[in-house]
Amino acid sequence: MMTSLLAYLLIPLSSAVIIQFLKKNDKLADIVSNVSLFAGLLNISYLIFNPQNVRFSFASIADNGFSLIMVLAIYLIAFCVSLFSSGFIPRTKNKHNFYSLLLTGVAAMCGVVISLDFFTLYIYAEALAIVSLAMICYEDNERGAEGAVKYFFLTLPGSVFILTGISILLFTAGTFNFLNLQSIANSGPMSTANMVAVAFLCIGFLIKAGIVPFHTWLIDAYQGAYSPVSAFLGGIATKVSGAYAIIKIVMIFKLFESTAGRISEALMLLGAITIIWGAIAAIRQKNFKRMLAFSSISQTGYIVLASGLGTPLAVLGAIFHLFNQATFKGTLFLNSASIEKSAGTTNMHKLANLENSMPWTTWTSIIALLAAAGLPPLSGFWSKLVIVLALWEEGAKGYAFLSLFFMLVTFAHFAIIQKKIFFGKKAADGEKSREMPVFMLLPVVLLSMIIILAGIFFPHVYSFLMQAVTRNML
Amino acid sequence: MITLFSVDWYLISIIFFIGLYCMLVSRNMFKQLLGLQIMSKACVLAIILCGAATNNVNLSQAIAITMILMEVIAVLAGLGLILKAWKITGCPDLVKLSKLKG
Repeated sequence: MMTSLLAYLLIPLSSAVIIQFLKKNDKLADIVSNVSLFAGLLNISYLIFNPQNVRFSFASIADNGFSLIMVLAIYLIAFCVSLFSSGFIPRTKNKHNFYSLLLTGVAAMCGVVISLDFFTLYIYAEALAIVSLAMICYEDNERGAEGAVKYFFLTLPGSVFILTGISILLFTAGTFNFLNLQSIANSGPMSTANMVAVAFLCIGFLIKAGIVPFHTWLIDAYQGAYSPVSAFLGGIATKVSGAYAIIKIVMIFKLFESTAGRISEALMLLGAITIIWGAIAAIRQKNFKRMLAFSSISQTGYIVLASGLGTPLAVLGAIFHLFNQATFKGTLFLNSASIEKSAGTTNMHKLANLENSMPWTTWTSIIALLAAAGLPPLSGFWSKLVIVLALWEEGAKGYAFLSLFFMLVTFAHFAIIQKKIFFGKKAADGEKSREMPVFMLLPVVLLSMIIILAGIFFPHVYSFLMQAVTRNML
Repeated sequence: MITLFSVDWYLISIIFFIGLYCMLVSRNMFKQLLGLQIMSKACVLAIILCGAATNNVNLSQAIAITMILMEVIAVLAGLGLILKAWKITGCPDLVKLSKLKG
């Protein structure tokens, strides 16, 4: 019997409708949202870790391993954001609307990762963009409105480019189904017209991923968004609508071995520029959330660099880095929300010595920061190592050195944050800060445990991902 | 047939770049939204044209109708957002929205 992943799309969608009828009762809305997301998380974990499924290499599941791991990441981050916001959002703020939007966003993201052709993928990405738009300006203030307006006017042109790519594909290949396109790409060298279509698709998805020439919307949207929403956007939403699609394109068209080497080179160049720009700009920021946004851009650069290289090992690194980035950026943005709530500011010059007053927040943030910088036992190290090894293997030694060097730069600016925010002398705003209640600490502790476990059990993760990649790219 | 196709394609590119130009030069948010809409209309025309040229009208028709639906939703969301920004800043000027800085 084949198991389809469609239920992961439909159940949150129906919960989103049900929550709209619970206007009077915020507690019940909390419970419905958290329970439906937690049930989905348990279910997908059972599907992935079930020894029977592992033994038969997921042959009974309709979609491939890549979709499975993306659904796991989506449910993980969405559950953490939902649990966090049940403590974060005050009663008066129409909580049910927030949960409704969050669950619709989860449904749209699952649609993106289980879709089997580019048009369906575009539809769900557009739905996700509109849901994120509504979530960014959830708080009625100028920051939210500005972030949302910039998000709207700078990402929707990306959709237009995607549509142009789809129309050219319809003309040259006659189809945009992934399987048909894969067989066309396997049958021989790609025609120039197909390459133009792929280039248009890449531009559209790069705009949605926030790669450097098109990154301006991302920073303002992350900084202006309501705090739990930044975790949702930074953790998973922009990665699913942008980076996921780039990896998918690379898997389908096998850019590295066909005549489309130019697109692959362009992707690698853009990825490298993104790594440099994001890491250098992050050093100069004063606001914690803005700095995290820049570092998020820089990390997405690694994904694009690796997927531009396009060998199976590099794609494996890109997928694993996508998952890792979801976990550590989710932790960091949720912690920045706690800091904003308890200390009243995210300006790094006004914060100091949170180590004493908020120990759990501090230590989970430090685990996430070290993972993002690539310290050995943690998960971020392995994904970056795989990317660097893949670059070295293909002879792109310049890019390999560059990635290694900017790992150090990332480490440097994370050390600056740690010193400024969590350690050091006491400051006025750090004095009155208090540790968050246990419901808001559970999600970050869960995420940081996953960071550590994914690092320690890397051999298992590697064999799982290798299976997924070889099944996709054959 | 081929010549007609190229003429249509030429006109579609002109529409596309009119929309792009409108988005690049105007500071008014409503004009920006209009420019975006003109660009997506060019895409709908391109899809219908490609379907007609490859004898695949059924598929392109279905896609065009779905796209019109998506565009309506995007316009509604965008208009609501612009009204919200207008209420907060007092004018529909995009450049006035510059509170977020590092």
